[in-house]
Amino acid sequence: MTAGPARPATPRYDVVVVGAGLAGSLVAKRLGDRGWRVLVLEAGTRTLDSWPGHLDALDTAHAALAKVPNAPYRRNPAAPFPDVLDLTGLPDGGYRADGYFLQNGPLPYGSDHLRATGGTALHWMGLAPRMHPDDFHVRRAYGYGRDWPLAYDDLEPHYRAAERELGVAGDADEQRDAIGLPFPPGYGYPMHKIPRSYLDSVIAARLDGVRLREAPDAPETTLRVVTTPHARNSTPNPGYDSGRGHRPRGAVGTPNYGERCVGHAFCVPICPVQAKYTPLKTQATWSDDVTLVAHAVVSRVLTAGNGRVLGVEYQRYDDPASPAHTTRTAEADLVVLAAHAVENAKLLLLSGLADASGQVGRNLMDHPVLLTWGLLDHPAGPFRGPGSTSGLECFRTGPARRDRAPFRVEIGNWGWSWPAGSPSGDVSRLLGITGDPSQPRGKGLFGARLRRELGHFVGRQFSFQFAFEQDAESRNRVTVDPRHRDRLGIPRPVLTYDLSDHVKRGIASAKAVSDQLFRLLGAEDHTAYAPGTSAPGWFRHGDGAFEFKGAGHAAGTHVMGASRADSVVDPWQRCWDHPNLYAVGCGSMPSVGTSNPSLTMAALTLRSCERMHRDLTELHRPAALRLPEGRP
Amino acid sequence: MTEPAVLAEPPFRVPRDRADLQLFLQAALTLEHLTIPPYLTAMYSLRPGRNRPASHIIRSVVLEEMLHMTLVANLLSAVGGEALVADSRFVSSYPAVLPFSKEKVPVALRHFGPEALETFLYIERPAYVAEPPGHPSVGEDDGWTSVGQFYATLRAGVLRLSAELGERELFCGDPARQVGPADFYDSGGEVFAVTDLASALKALRVVTEQGEGADGTVFDSDEELFGETRQPAHYFRFDEIRRERAYGPYDTPAGGPSGPDIAVAWQDAYPLDPGAKVAHYPPGSAVRRAADRFNEVYARLLCVLQAAFTGTPAVLRAAVPTMLELRALSERLHRNPHPDPARRAAGLHASPTYEVTERHFERARAELALRE
Repeated sequence: MTAGPARPATPRYDVVVVGAGLAGSLVAKRLGDRGWRVLVLEAGTRTLDSWPGHLDALDTAHAALAKVPNAPYRRNPAAPFPDVLDLTGLPDGGYRADGYFLQNGPLPYGSDHLRATGGTALHWMGLAPRMHPDDFHVRRAYGYGRDWPLAYDDLEPHYRAAERELGVAGDADEQRDAIGLPFPPGYGYPMHKIPRSYLDSVIAARLDGVRLREAPDAPETTLRVVTTPHARNSTPNPGYDSGRGHRPRGAVGTPNYGERCVGHAFCVPICPVQAKYTPLKTQATWSDDVTLVAHAVVSRVLTAGNGRVLGVEYQRYDDPASPAHTTRTAEADLVVLAAHAVENAKLLLLSGLADASGQVGRNLMDHPVLLTWGLLDHPAGPFRGPGSTSGLECFRTGPARRDRAPFRVEIGNWGWSWPAGSPSGDVSRLLGITGDPSQPRGKGLFGARLRRELGHFVGRQFSFQFAFEQDAESRNRVTVDPRHRDRLGIPRPVLTYDLSDHVKRGIASAKAVSDQLFRLLGAEDHTAYAPGTSAPGWFRHGDGAFEFKGAGHAAGTHVMGASRADSVVDPWQRCWDHPNLYAVGCGSMPSVGTSNPSLTMAALTLRSCERMHRDLTELHRPAALRLPEGRP
Repeated sequence: MTEPAVLAEPPFRVPRDRADLQLFLQAALTLEHLTIPPYLTAMYSLRPGRNRPASHIIRSVVLEEMLHMTLVANLLSAVGGEALVADSRFVSSYPAVLPFSKEKVPVALRHFGPEALETFLYIERPAYVAEPPGHPSVGEDDGWTSVGQFYATLRAGVLRLSAELGERELFCGDPARQVGPADFYDSGGEVFAVTDLASALKALRVVTEQGEGADGTVFDSDEELFGETRQPAHYFRFDEIRRERAYGPYDTPAGGPSGPDIAVAWQDAYPLDPGAKVAHYPPGSAVRRAADRFNEVYARLLCVLQAAFTGTPAVLRAAVPTMLELRALSERLHRNPHPDPARRAAGLHASPTYEVTERHFERARAELALRE
């Protein structure tokens, strides 16, 4: 008898988690702590949890001309990811998309994500507000979008768990008073709120208590500058957790570093001291039952005939610069997709799974952002403190949601860097460098005059970032196109994206609000929306023109619902069609409200971990055997 | 070289009464501060972006020295005293003789290099700790032999007075004067309020064990006291640079480091004049103005600390941007070859001098008053 080639043993785990980002790291943490054997497969590399890797990313970011969210992170052809620089606006409107995403419009999907150990939350700003209770049933209350099968109260205890895990700094009383968020009596965040920036106090002095109408016939709203909760180390709250306090978690890879935010204003793309929460901090506390394998691109979820999934197939590569890779499989009782809203949808579509409702990949949402920017009448200290420390919360809900998308107003602490590439854009302008390389250089300033002018100009910059709720629409979707594959042969995502009139009306209202805010502040408004290279999101609406940006908040692509007929996952984020397949993350959200979604995603994920634990336990119950009748 | 400055040492005895204890604590504050300018000079002399491991190590030590200053100030406030830091007498001129030690070791403002490191290792050296004065093994007129002995004596004084006066009587200071974790600190250990004997002894433990190591090991006690990652103590962290090798978890003081290599580029620092004085820079020159400005900003830093240690702890946050200003001014100075031809020929560069005079304090106070 001759032996055939030995079949490599397929490793078996209790759980396979796809993606070592925020959601995946939390799942591995919770299930690993309960003794389940967890395999985490990460498509990207794993350099950032070492100190030299962090310093390398920091150097790359400092050297980058455009400090975009993915600037610090090395390109990886084996696990490609999008970049906001992939989009270029055309001279007369419209846009061109290069890079990982194929886009067929009509408007560009302007957000990126990151495929690396740690995931997109490596470059998030770190804002951690809760959703408003009204955000969970927008269809029922306001007639647009989709409703959650859960309410705020169902999620509330998990919000607290997420705030603990992320180490959120905030002021619960202020959130309760200013926004109407319900907290249990006496609740305090793990850390005291991040101090306001000087800019916040300048704006609060001129806006707090002012009553304003967004349109002549609209009801009055009272303005109030409210501190934003952050997943960022501030001062630990000694009264937290019944007086046990909270220990800030500092940097990963080096001791006693990053235990306080020091105000670099570089949260996006990378916190230099790692005072900002990233999933690497959760990974550092994983139990020994968790195995992380990076350089492992999951290409398919494997199924048995009965609807249950068996495990995953993945492509293991060694060198990101080489096309060489090998195909492997891993089996598990439970498979959890936690690879990002777009990647989860891509994987379900490639596997032909979970789509009895026809909703996989649909309902793609983001928080479209409108920027307005200007100069105050005196220096207000931009580029100090985190990217945004306060906002105006009074447009987040209310009857006006029937007619237009609600929005949250972030006060931007980083000058005009997002709208105009400041301060480097200001330097080149003052040096006489135009954006057009075919033109000769104009006359520029030098020396002391340049420094004075720059200080006078940059020091007075401020911006507002209006983030709109985008409603779930089935036409906004992710599909895959086998004619366009990445280097490992995996089809790339195709995005179809537009803004509803509901959102566009919100944008127009916000611009009207912004005009009033500038008047109240006595500020010089420099806001202008024109088509061109840096404005791929330019569009006309009514008799106005606007330009929107992406917030990096992809959601909705494996939408959660109360019925298997019209949603992909159940309220536990379990695929209706496959009892042991979960798809977790913002992709499950039926609506995104106006709050940055990471905290809600973390809360939802922690809630699902309880269900996963029960599912795994039930699998291990002994079967009850009944003897046939009449036998002794 | 000029004759090294000698710091006043308290009398060789266990503190007898409250006034004595306050005198000792003020001396401790001066001692902790004495190390900061030399450490900052070495750290900022590294060419930006080079020698990151060494820079990181020195930074972690200098931050902990700032923690020690703060804890000593807390202890001084707790026993009813008042820290004095915003005063030209508080800032020693350099080179200075390291106090409380047998050998007269000069401490100078040197650039990063073997000489600077030798001095740092001497400062942080875990000496054989002599018993406090009055112990049968110690002679009447032996005098101080080590920093460790001085702190052991301080500790004995705190214990003795707490027993004599009663704990509540000894710690009679206003708790509102205590600098706490809310007032900013960002490295190994933690700022905490000193309000009783237990917290006073803990403060003294942090000050000594972060420097010399705990229980005869190479490691400090951050893990035990604060639930933080333990690190080699200051002496052993400097030793890692000197030997270009990290300490591993099982290493001992006797055996030396056996961990991974640390790359040190000894030549990647601006060579500085250890006897640098403002007077060596031509009046009216840009270098002179920058050196003068540095001393003024350093005076402002001490004014901020003075306020933080004596009633308004929250202003400690203002020390952070002031430190960043000092870094920027240091780097500006270092980029200039020394204006003096002979020193320039020796390859030296301009550097901050830490000559903080009453005039600088006056200007710093005026500047702070303007910002109010």
